[in-house]
Amino acid sequence: MSTAVSSFIAKRTAGGSFLIEDLLPGDVFTPEDFTEEQKQIAQTTSQFADEQVLSSISEIEAKNYDVTRRLMRQAGELGLMSVDVPEEYGGLELDKVTSTLITDRISVSGSFSVTYSAHVGIGMLPLVWYGTPQQKQKYIAKLASGEWIAAYALSESSAGSDAMNIRTRATLSPDGRHYILNGEKMWISNAGMASLFTVFAKIDGEKFTAFLIEAGTPGLTVGKEEHKLGIRGSSTCPLILVDCHVPVENVLGEIGKGHQIAFNILNVGRFKLGAAAVGGSRNSLRDGIRYAKERIAFGKPITSFGLVQEKIAESAAGIYAGEAVVYRVIGAIDAALSSVDKSSPEYSKQVQKCIEEFAVECSILKFWGSEMAERVVDQTLQLHGGYGYVEEYPAERAYRDSRINKIFEGTNEINRLITTGWMIKRAMQGRLALMPAVKKVMDEVMSGPGERVAFEGPLADERALLANAKKLGLFCAGAASQKFGMELGDQQEVMGMLADLLAEVLVLDSVILRTEKMRGRSALAVKLAKYYAARSFRIVESAAERVIGTVAEGDMLRTQMAIFRRLTKHEPINTVSIGREIAATMVEAGRYTINGSAA
Amino acid sequence: MRILTLIRQVLDAQEGVHIAKNAVELNGRKLVIDTMDEYGVEEALRLREHGLQAEVIAVAIGSARVEEALRTALAMGADRAIHVETDVALDAIALSSVIAQIAQAEKAELIFCGGQQSDWDSQALGAATAERLNWPQATWTRALELSGSLLSGRHDTEDGVESFEVQLPAVITTQQGLNEPRYPTLPNIMKAKRKQIRKDPLDAYAIEPKLQTKGVAFQTRQRLRKILDGKDAFTAASQLVDSLRNEARVIQ
Repeated sequence: MSTAVSSFIAKRTAGGSFLIEDLLPGDVFTPEDFTEEQKQIAQTTSQFADEQVLSSISEIEAKNYDVTRRLMRQAGELGLMSVDVPEEYGGLELDKVTSTLITDRISVSGSFSVTYSAHVGIGMLPLVWYGTPQQKQKYIAKLASGEWIAAYALSESSAGSDAMNIRTRATLSPDGRHYILNGEKMWISNAGMASLFTVFAKIDGEKFTAFLIEAGTPGLTVGKEEHKLGIRGSSTCPLILVDCHVPVENVLGEIGKGHQIAFNILNVGRFKLGAAAVGGSRNSLRDGIRYAKERIAFGKPITSFGLVQEKIAESAAGIYAGEAVVYRVIGAIDAALSSVDKSSPEYSKQVQKCIEEFAVECSILKFWGSEMAERVVDQTLQLHGGYGYVEEYPAERAYRDSRINKIFEGTNEINRLITTGWMIKRAMQGRLALMPAVKKVMDEVMSGPGERVAFEGPLADERALLANAKKLGLFCAGAASQKFGMELGDQQEVMGMLADLLAEVLVLDSVILRTEKMRGRSALAVKLAKYYAARSFRIVESAAERVIGTVAEGDMLRTQMAIFRRLTKHEPINTVSIGREIAATMVEAGRYTINGSAA
Repeated sequence: MRILTLIRQVLDAQEGVHIAKNAVELNGRKLVIDTMDEYGVEEALRLREHGLQAEVIAVAIGSARVEEALRTALAMGADRAIHVETDVALDAIALSSVIAQIAQAEKAELIFCGGQQSDWDSQALGAATAERLNWPQATWTRALELSGSLLSGRHDTEDGVESFEVQLPAVITTQQGLNEPRYPTLPNIMKAKRKQIRKDPLDAYAIEPKLQTKGVAFQTRQRLRKILDGKDAFTAASQLVDSLRNEARVIQ
């Protein structure tokens, strides 16, 4: 296993089990479990982000890559790029909670964050996982120090989400020493500043394979920079390969098995995107609150107005939930990784298996996180009024930068399909006892109102909502499977609704567990949890109602809606008063916080 | 040689100041090493990196939470730390006694101390410590160089720059511009985990505070927010003159 920086190790769980199992607060990892070292690493990262990255933001946005390279080298010197690198190659090889924490805290600029994440994630991990000792010896130190920047070239103009469809071809040279690559890649992050590319091509048009290509290799040309809506300071270019001769020793991984690299790396990209979304949201809300505190309207700071407070409360609750779900999932991955034998020749494969186990959760972090962040940056822009729409304030940049998060690392549509699809797949494979759970809920709800389960504690009502959300999720999954059977996968809209249900169950579950694990130390956390739960259940209700409306009609529809009403019955909380209290603490602190004397 | 660097922990400048129970609320607030003390840590590390054989010891006196600040100093590169743990608020004169005792016990030859504490603006600790030890002090330093046991440097005065030389042992106070403190790197953070923080009770130093803070309050500026009806400019102008003369008393 990698070096655990976390001192608390979460309970081992199976991927997807959040829908059918009830964990105790002591079973999950939460941000309150960070060790002193993790807090210091977070602090170093935040200082670097606030003092170095943000102070260079105009140069970064102007695509002054010398500045970005300098920052990348500085990040390398601090060790921020060595966390996933094995010790034998000079890395730190720390746990995933720690590397996620860095991704979270470094995300104050969409542009720099993408450059950094593309480098340490899709740029370096394929080499770390699949490289030969010679390849690692040659490249890893340069990449970990930031001297070289890495890029990953999979997509093509007509192969995005359907990555297996690539047309780039490789053929072995007559002397057997090189592969000759021809084709065009598109949307390649970091291309304009990279020294090493991981390029995917099909050998003889069939065998999907990855290659390591150094910049400057004859036949490799980096095309013009794309003019993008956001993350303008990151580099995105096409790559053109014309008879590009790549030495055979630069084949990465096994010939014909490049798809393993391509797909396994995506899970990491997804959970890290979720973390980056949380970090970006935290930073954006700070901008929004800072502005709102100073902006006077009608003789008062606008933070004294209810609709302004509501925006702050909604954003804060989203961030609180984001932190809860991101670190719960990564903590579960670390728990799985903690038993992997590092000396095993299969180590890298085992690591990927552990992460793939949580593919559903990774996809949820990706789509849920990017959509939470999108709401936060929108609220921040709105808090600025007209000033949010001009470039002098960071709100405008954050708003543009956030949009890409719904597109890359698999579109949110693809990730919703993966979320529901993998749950079903895991159930079919017998790796998740979903079918018995569905049957149990179906029997229970069909047999009429059962006994009410009484929950305790300050979040008793929210626990009841969560229990019903889980039932609704199972019920809807069951009803949809009954209606569509094996064809469910083709009903993308229903798959999407089920994905929303699953996401809210995972997030709300994480929010409640995190809050209960604090044992009342933070009254503010309880308010944030309640506020988030109210929103979450509205989404659950809406998704469930749409599933039922799609899969049932006539008497069946009436029966299912009766069940729906029974499971959604609850008394609403006073979101206005709780929202005002949340906002008051955030405003007082001048940023998102979960500690506050006003709480 | 042993170098002591004094560490004080203060409220992060980004945090809002809040008063509870007659004191500035620190619970749940972000606390950091006082920046000027951080210059001292950085300078000690630089002297060592320029070839000086030295052990750098971070010293702090204060509540359990001060350990965080000492951990930061260790993560920056200090070799070990001494934490005199107490919840008693000590004034600079009392603190200097503790530090002088530690300096003597450790046979330290150089002490770094921030020129001014960023929370209460106190500048006394360095001077008081030098007085206790009967050592020379060089204050508000901006550049330092050590050759043998002769430390040379300069410090700014209001109208110019003064250069100085001093034989160790000495107390040096720092200021902005002396150096740019490093961020703790990840490898150093991980290494610091294994470094020693010695915990001493305050009793071991037999001191008592001579000065007690009895309360703190904000200076508030209240605005009257008086708006004059401007429909009739002449009346408004005479009302304004009247207010300025009789209420605000800013004109005769």
